[in-house]
Amino acid sequence: MKALFWVPFLIIPAIVQSNFILSIFIFSFILAIAAVSFNIIFGFTGQLSMFHAAAFGIAAYLTSLIVSYFQVSFWTALVPTLAFTVLISILIGSICFKFQLRAFYFAVVTLAFSELARLVILNWNSVTNGTLGLMVLEKPSVWMPGAGLLKIDGVFSWYYFSLAALIITVALCSLVLNSWIGRSFAAIRLNEDLAQTLGINTFRYKLLSFTLANALAAIAGSLYAFYTGYIEPAYLSINQSLDIISMVLLGGSSSIAGPIAGAFVLTGLPHMIELSGEARAILYGLVLILTILIMPRGLIGTLVGLRRAA
Amino acid sequence: MLQLLVGQTLNGVIVGTLYGIIALGVTLTFGITGIVNFALGEFMMIGAYVTWYLFDVAGLPFPVAIGPAVAAAALCGLVADQVLFRFTRNNLINGLLVSIGLISIVEAAALLLWTTTPKDMGYVLTGAVRLGGVSVPKMKLVVFALLAAVMFLTYAALSRTWMGRAAYAYAQNPEAAMLMGVRTGILQSAVVVYSTALAGFGGALYATLYSLEPSMGGLYILKGVEAAILGGIGSLIGSLAGGIILGVTEAVGSIYLPSAFRDAYGLIFVVAILLYRPSGLFGAER
Repeated sequence: MKALFWVPFLIIPAIVQSNFILSIFIFSFILAIAAVSFNIIFGFTGQLSMFHAAAFGIAAYLTSLIVSYFQVSFWTALVPTLAFTVLISILIGSICFKFQLRAFYFAVVTLAFSELARLVILNWNSVTNGTLGLMVLEKPSVWMPGAGLLKIDGVFSWYYFSLAALIITVALCSLVLNSWIGRSFAAIRLNEDLAQTLGINTFRYKLLSFTLANALAAIAGSLYAFYTGYIEPAYLSINQSLDIISMVLLGGSSSIAGPIAGAFVLTGLPHMIELSGEARAILYGLVLILTILIMPRGLIGTLVGLRRAA
Repeated sequence: MLQLLVGQTLNGVIVGTLYGIIALGVTLTFGITGIVNFALGEFMMIGAYVTWYLFDVAGLPFPVAIGPAVAAAALCGLVADQVLFRFTRNNLINGLLVSIGLISIVEAAALLLWTTTPKDMGYVLTGAVRLGGVSVPKMKLVVFALLAAVMFLTYAALSRTWMGRAAYAYAQNPEAAMLMGVRTGILQSAVVVYSTALAGFGGALYATLYSLEPSMGGLYILKGVEAAILGGIGSLIGSLAGGIILGVTEAVGSIYLPSAFRDAYGLIFVVAILLYRPSGLFGAER
């Protein structure tokens, strides 16, 4: 049933020939991975992490730098990148959760670490080229049965490549969230002290949630860097975190479909209507405020609520 | 070398009081409404731009320009409170996100109105005094004195007036305060508006020393929150002290370490404080 949801996406490139529209879809797919993974820690475990954009950006830099320095493939570079992301997530997560930082304090400390990461990348000119950023010229390749090694270049291959990445992410997330792990996350979100009393090791599950979210964000970041062919320190900025939070809130934080819907609306909308940077920022701010005040359950949550009421 | 050290320390103290005035607003708002108003920096920016406009463009004398600047910030604060923050009382995450949404709106509006070109205000007060072997511009001393005075007046008002004691009572036990006749709705709005007025005042003085950019608010609110956490959330003197400590660390630190990382010192400080002394340097032990 749920797999049917993806069928329209498979045939869209056959109908829509415009590269412009397809590229909006590609951006939406990649950012949806970031939004869905952010929702693991935010919507399902109830911790407002401000490190998500940092994980996204660090991975974007690391994968690109490894590829250009060591002349290895995208996939070979992704392994150390993921290992590094998992390592720093465990480090930062352990610090935060060991000291029982909750709500606002967790947000502030993760924000502090993400700003530190941004400052390092911004000022390490010899490697990262500072504010100017770097070009990423390589493209990933995948092995396809019958076609051999296929270079992911051009809109069509990127469309299916990023769609596949999103489907895998969603499958992984629903697997995790529908298992006992997901129920432990929910217990922590609803009442952390009670969860602890019931024998859930809250430290370990929060750490797992934080690490999993960051690792998936790292994949999204790497894809983003290789698709756009460009990396800059702004990937790690607070604004990038806010974009992801807005996507999750707009779509609704109580489901996996919510963040995907949010990513599509907030990625597509600014491209559909011609807007200046300022008007776009105002639109983002308004969406964030109005969603919280008027539609706290988000698009998907409100739709589900309407259907139940009818 | 010693001269540089003294000079940087003095600079740090003055910037630190600017952090402190934002930190005071953060602490007050958090204590009474249970949210952190991340948009306080934007009210500071409003105060700064209004001062610049009245002083530089309209040609009013500086003391006259301060009043409307503070009033403009407070008015924007009142609107923001009635339209937005009223609905997010005691909901930390929602308050945080709403104020962040407000930041992007106000900052974009400021960019449309005043562009990215930095605005420099003409000199309000020229001349310098010699202090400990270094010369300090008179204006910096005036800014420091005014900010410190406002902070001590706030402290005095909170401990001496009926409204101030009501605020303390409310922070300790909201239900009991309500039963004793404290109009909590008005108290909460008053505190939100007062904190934006403080930010506007800080902005008016900021305009006399540094050039203005629409993005200034974002930086100052981060420093303000850092200072508030450093001093201990809920402590008024702590917010001034936290601001000064932060300012001095940054100023002195950039003598010895690459100045590109000056924004990092505060962050490291905050992480360390939150881990080992979550109530801050001046806060009561939990």
